[in-house]
Amino acid sequence: MRRAIAAAMSRSKREIPHYYLSEPIPMAAALEWLQARNAGVPITQRILPAVLQLKAVALALAEVPELNGLYRDGEFAPSAAVHIGVAISLRGGGLVAPALHDVAGRSIDDLMHALSDLVRRARAGSLRSSEMTDPTITVTNLGDQGVESVFGVIYPPQVALVGFGGIAERAWAQEGWIRAVPVVTASLAADHRVSDGHRGARFLAVLRDLLQRPHELAGTPAPPTGAQPPDGP
Amino acid sequence: MDHEALRATALSILTTIAPEIEPAELDATRPLRHQVDLDSMDWLNYLVALNERLHIEIPEADYARLRTLDDLVGYLARRLGATPGAGTEG
Repeated sequence: MRRAIAAAMSRSKREIPHYYLSEPIPMAAALEWLQARNAGVPITQRILPAVLQLKAVALALAEVPELNGLYRDGEFAPSAAVHIGVAISLRGGGLVAPALHDVAGRSIDDLMHALSDLVRRARAGSLRSSEMTDPTITVTNLGDQGVESVFGVIYPPQVALVGFGGIAERAWAQEGWIRAVPVVTASLAADHRVSDGHRGARFLAVLRDLLQRPHELAGTPAPPTGAQPPDGP
Repeated sequence: MDHEALRATALSILTTIAPEIEPAELDATRPLRHQVDLDSMDWLNYLVALNERLHIEIPEADYARLRTLDDLVGYLARRLGATPGAGTEG
């Protein structure tokens, strides 16, 4: 496995001109929404923050489609569907990034169930081979390790990788005040043959805005006005 | 179920989530998730499995109180209304 990872990553670094961007994203609105939601359902229906992040990535890609697809024979083919390769570390070492299919079109409950199943099967070694080749973009989440940010190596022939660090309280300045706010640093590694930093920045801005409106990610009605979550800086 | 039985149950379920661990080598006073390398999904699966066995739903609001194995066993005992065993209550 280590050799396969080495081959793919060496090829990536040899062939793909990466550029990297990052953006701190306030998570107070998303976490408050999630806590309230999870408190009202049985434990088997609880949803992890990572699922909201995956859904937000998929929806943001609709605005910047040049990050979602495959680069082959000198040409980029965008993908209509968003199949996110979810980086899953294996307990014995190494990692795999099988596809979570059609993330944009599925409910967060459905995605949580599918993600849980994917992690279980990845660790049991029972993934389908198509799941390894289907991803159109990869998301890696190293938040549980306590790192602040992760800048990934694109998995060819994909053209982008989104990284999430841990959600942690940080000092956040807004409108002349400093508050302690849960923040996650999202990063983008993207292929300069297909997109540029301006479009990559647009992607991260849309991602940040989507995560301020968790009810929209979940497809539920908005909270009453007056309870608007803070925007980014 | 007393503390020792609860501890044995908690450990036996833990080995289904993290098969590579050696329960005897766990330090019950050190942070559990760090020692066993449980990510958010593993932790949730662990709590779901505990719930299946013990019928205790642990709310997210209580996660912060469950840092060590001793914390967890003490918490489960309180929720079950069990009498504390010797030397395990923190």
